Amino acid sequence: MTQRRSYAVGTGLFIVLGFAALAYLATQTTSVANSHSGSTYTVDTRFANVGQLKVRAPVKIAGVRVGSVQAIDLVPGKEEAKVTLAIDDGHKDIPDDSVATIYTSGLLGDQYVGIQFGQSKNPVKEGGEIGLTRPAQQLEEMLGKFFGGGSAPDRLGGTYHVTGDFTNIGGLQPGAAVKMAGVPIGSVDSVVVKPGAVQATVTLAIDKRYSQIPDDSSAAVFTSGLIGSQYVAIQPGGSPEFLAEGDSFVLTQSALQLEDLIGKFLVNGSPSDNKSGAQGAAQPDNAGKK
Amino acid sequence: MSNGNDNVVVRSLAQIGACGLFLLTILAAIPRSFRHGRETVRQIWFVGAMSLTIVMTCGLFVGMVLGLQLYDVLSIFGGTSATGTVVAIAIYRELGPVVTALLFAGRAGTSVTAEIGLMRATDQLDAMEMMAVDPIAYVAAPRFLAGVIALPLLAIVFCAMGVFGGHLVGVTWLGIDNGTFWSNMTAAVDVHKDIVDGVLLKSIAFGIVVSLIAVFQGYTTPPTSEGVAYATTRTVVASSIAILALDFVLTSFLI
Repeated sequence: MTQRRSYAVGTGLFIVLGFAALAYLATQTTSVANSHSGSTYTVDTRFANVGQLKVRAPVKIAGVRVGSVQAIDLVPGKEEAKVTLAIDDGHKDIPDDSVATIYTSGLLGDQYVGIQFGQSKNPVKEGGEIGLTRPAQQLEEMLGKFFGGGSAPDRLGGTYHVTGDFTNIGGLQPGAAVKMAGVPIGSVDSVVVKPGAVQATVTLAIDKRYSQIPDDSSAAVFTSGLIGSQYVAIQPGGSPEFLAEGDSFVLTQSALQLEDLIGKFLVNGSPSDNKSGAQGAAQPDNAGKK
Repeated sequence: MSNGNDNVVVRSLAQIGACGLFLLTILAAIPRSFRHGRETVRQIWFVGAMSLTIVMTCGLFVGMVLGLQLYDVLSIFGGTSATGTVVAIAIYRELGPVVTALLFAGRAGTSVTAEIGLMRATDQLDAMEMMAVDPIAYVAAPRFLAGVIALPLLAIVFCAMGVFGGHLVGVTWLGIDNGTFWSNMTAAVDVHKDIVDGVLLKSIAFGIVVSLIAVFQGYTTPPTSEGVAYATTRTVVASSIAILALDFVLTSFLI
């Protein structure tokens, strides 16, 4: 009998252990909130582009999960996606002029729907619609903006070379675009510092189609966006003469260093130039000590 | 059952057919086997609780090696914080149920086959029938039931140990942030898809298949010592093939 009893106790322990492990897995390693818990109400939204949004993706308000995406369909006959959101009944007070936006968590993360409250006093109802939406941002489009709409144009028409001397070219690389009025017209051919000189000589290869650039134009090193690549922008002057092969720019503007800019912002409040002057004077001193 | 002149295909078909009929016989006998509830409990102890050591140890090491390999590969992409997620999903969906079922076939399936096979070889089953005790209800059904109950529980324990092993390597040894490890895992792992469908459903299906094969092979053993040896081997081979093939079929339906 004791033998049998020990079997029963051992088996009971085994079963309890199994269910304890199940409870542990279900509650500790999964998002229990991901499963359907509690009742929800549905709200429709329409997006021009849902990107990688998936069914059951979270819906968040102020970063807090309030529901999930229930369905994603194409609106018949339109280039529009209808996204049905299932929002927990506990969050009934979403204004009907709120804005739904598709966000990406992190750079590579999943996409989710974020809702920003509007000003309306009327909450959106079951089966209602959030009319204002912002579509998913496509990484390719954003990158396209950063990098200024692509690199240098093709050189089918041949190029001519113009040089410019810059005191500081920042991160300008050979191959970077040369733009006039924002349109790429050529590329940077080489960046060198001539022996004995303190300035960088940048050679630009400009498409021959753009041969009518006034010879008093100025060249500047700009950055596309905040973290984009650098390019050379040509600001046309008023001279009747045009730049030709081998000419050089008289007027150049060096790259703006982000650090310098921030430094300027920080000391912007004070009217005196003492600080920036002192900094400018201090730098060569430091360099000399080293 | 079948004479020796049949070729392999016909013999295999005959085996599968006999196995299917045997399943129906066992299912019909399950209500009667509830009279022998204690026997079922004893079998759960034998096939389940006694397999805990091997299942827990293997789960721990599978989780640890997964954590190590994934950390190594994911560090190429700078994605080591996803280690916990991938360990959990790989174990829940595939390794947990499959490896547990394979271990179960080796540890418990063989002993069931050998035990029933020896009962057959020593005429115990015939003796029971003579004493008006239904051997299907008293011997086969409790062992079958015990396997179906025990395997899901073992698979769950395996999964828990696997996640623990992944945590041990990832967080304790390789220094992934503890909060990242768990929060990424909880964000990606889904109760329904990964635990219910992944672990429970699969391991119940494997439990049915492995227990059926083990009991069937034992029950139909030729009553010789050689026959018992062959039956035991066949249990492991047939179970392994059935588990892996069924895993593919189930996954293609569940995914």
